[in-house]
Amino acid sequence: MALLLFRVALPPLGRVARRTLSLFSHPSPSDWSKVVSDAEKIVGYPTSFMSLRCLLSDELSHVAMHVRRLAGTNHPLLNTARGFVQDSRNNLQTRGLVVLLMSKAAGPSGASTCFPQQDMVSGIYPSQRSLAEITELIHTAFLVHRGIVDLKDWSSSDGPLKDMQFGNKMAVLSGDFLLANACTGLAQLNNTKVVELISSAIGDLVQGIYCESSSAAEESSVTEDTTMDSWEERTFLSHGALLAKSCKAAMELANHNAEAQGLAFLYGKHMSLAHKINSDLQPFVKGSASDLMTFSLNCAPVVFHRQLVGSERWVHQLQQARSTGEHTDYTQLWKAIKADEGVSSTVELCRYHGNKALSAIKWFPPSDARSALENIASAVTKL
Amino acid sequence: MCTEDLAANMALPLRRCCMRTLGTNYCASLLNVPCCPDAGRSAFVATVPVLSGHRLMNTNSSRKCGSLSRCSLRLPRSVPNACHYSAVHSDAKVKDPFTLAQKDLKNLYDDIKKELFVSTAELKSLCHYYFDGKGKAFRPMIVVLMARACNLHSNRDGDLLPAQRSIAMISEMIHTASLVHDDIIDGSDTRRGKKTINEVWGERKAVLAGDFILSAASMALARIGNNAVVTVLSQVIEDLVRGEFMQLGSKENENERFKHYLEKTFKKTASLIANSCKAVSILVNPEPEVHEIAYQYGRNVGIAFQLVDDMLDFTSYANQLGKPSAADLRLGLATGPVLFACRQFPELHAMIMRRFSLNGDVDRAWRYVLQSDGVEQTNYLAQRYCQEAIRQISKLHPSAEREALIRLTELVLTRNK
Repeated sequence: MALLLFRVALPPLGRVARRTLSLFSHPSPSDWSKVVSDAEKIVGYPTSFMSLRCLLSDELSHVAMHVRRLAGTNHPLLNTARGFVQDSRNNLQTRGLVVLLMSKAAGPSGASTCFPQQDMVSGIYPSQRSLAEITELIHTAFLVHRGIVDLKDWSSSDGPLKDMQFGNKMAVLSGDFLLANACTGLAQLNNTKVVELISSAIGDLVQGIYCESSSAAEESSVTEDTTMDSWEERTFLSHGALLAKSCKAAMELANHNAEAQGLAFLYGKHMSLAHKINSDLQPFVKGSASDLMTFSLNCAPVVFHRQLVGSERWVHQLQQARSTGEHTDYTQLWKAIKADEGVSSTVELCRYHGNKALSAIKWFPPSDARSALENIASAVTKL
Repeated sequence: MCTEDLAANMALPLRRCCMRTLGTNYCASLLNVPCCPDAGRSAFVATVPVLSGHRLMNTNSSRKCGSLSRCSLRLPRSVPNACHYSAVHSDAKVKDPFTLAQKDLKNLYDDIKKELFVSTAELKSLCHYYFDGKGKAFRPMIVVLMARACNLHSNRDGDLLPAQRSIAMISEMIHTASLVHDDIIDGSDTRRGKKTINEVWGERKAVLAGDFILSAASMALARIGNNAVVTVLSQVIEDLVRGEFMQLGSKENENERFKHYLEKTFKKTASLIANSCKAVSILVNPEPEVHEIAYQYGRNVGIAFQLVDDMLDFTSYANQLGKPSAADLRLGLATGPVLFACRQFPELHAMIMRRFSLNGDVDRAWRYVLQSDGVEQTNYLAQRYCQEAIRQISKLHPSAEREALIRLTELVLTRNK
């Protein structure tokens, strides 16, 4: 899709930016790129071949051709398409890469006689490579489905209503197409446990995204009492479950025991959470208040801050930030949050999850692949 | 004279007439049925070349055919009799398929809701929305009847295996998930007499509800623990979305267009029925021949079902004003009746290509279709698919469920909503 959508004329960033879908983006691109490119060498060939079959299909070419029509509108599908182009090198394939590294770190299972070792390429079974692709397909499908807009909220500044409808139609169809390919790919793995596990991850993802989108809508009211615990639970669903369950499934495919499956799950879970917390922290650890744009009121530092200062004081701070005009004064809010312990507690939490990931991977025998996973877990705690 | 003799006599001229109109090759080849599921995908290719329009342009015979076909609408019972299946039901009264399937479908919707386990209250209400028991449960009904017919064929008692009942639930779940997404794609605001999910909760949430139902179906499918069954039903999910993509494009060439339409119909409607039938047969019988019978029955009934649906879009009346819905035309879709009508009224060609987008296109196309024999031809084609379905299912050992599946083909043809 990346190649095909590149031809689409992209509109200048306007208020669209708010809706931009975050890929697996990382704040410190240079370190991160190195960690990722080193890791890619270990797994033999990168996962970028993964969806070639999908990307070159008639169906997605069709979508790419028609997405041109959306140029000049505010439909998020355009930005998702832009994301494929701009971030494909560093971000898009990371989940698949972790699954491959995990597969290689665990190695062939002693218990498995049905898989001859020579079937492995760079120490990874073909079924595990397929799984890595499927993980990416599912992730991408939801990037696309997240970018559907409610037409009731349509305003003329978004572009013609007909085009927005059309954008939704394309987004539903291309997301479904990717999901359908994930389903048939899963079936070909011939392991119903894996099918069940990954299907449940899709369910988790839906529930997580659903909560996120409905709490984003209620952002202004801030009546609900979100605690860090519930934040972590929800964030696991939307940002961690797919990787955690894919890592576990990679172990199952090589017949590794329940213990190895559990450790792989923990690595995937904690690494994802650390990563999400890291990116949530960025507005608070980098730069100054002056170049601050905006931040989500559901991001980790804000939720932690709310929990620490109590909802009464938080509502007061929020009202102060809003008293100046129609819009929230994010600079003022930012200062209020920085003045308290919320940010430092969030940094701690990020390290906690990074360490949890590291200690899970310690149980695997030393190898290049294990080191790469350790590097990834360390990189996501660097702020 | 018993009803059957009467029906057989009535059926004869009808068939002769239509054969003359369409050409024997044409009729036979549209039903050219492959013997393996993979060939199912290419089967439609074979139907194209013989669809040459000039026979239909023979006004004399099309008029004759038209009047006789209308006659056939009132005499659907002629269809099964036109086929050579072993007569078993001569004495026993054939039970209504809905009644026969009822015991297996009890609590179906409650059980589906249990599969849709979700913590968020609002998402739960979205996911449960269409499982309100008001649907026809047409797919689960075919699935349980086929399951019992296959079980008896395999020299077991007819009782439904738990995994077979799961397939019945899964078929309804996959169907519903696709409806939820279809409504977003088509921008529909009502379905089954209530507002659509996208109308009530918005498109963002609706797409997630569809995804969730699909993931729950996929989990239930995996829990059956049979890889072949997982493969067969995963194919359905792919077919559904490919069918939806096919609906976006139209073909310039008339023969291509008909082939495209039938292939789309298979993927969007028949694949789910065919593969669900196949799945329940796999669960009880290891013989590929039996799987093929189940698959072919489902495929043929499924295509007939959709052809009738497309026909009803022109003949059933949506409201008291008596104004036809012509929903497909409004969506820019050229279905069977239009494609047949286009042979008599070439003016339709341009409208098909622009997807009825100009002012007045929908009305004009609708009038052309009703002036033509498009509706009759579509109905006739549906009958032929049903005959093939009967021919296939008749290869199974006789049972009440088998007879109900035969009877079901008549109901497919005579339904009016």
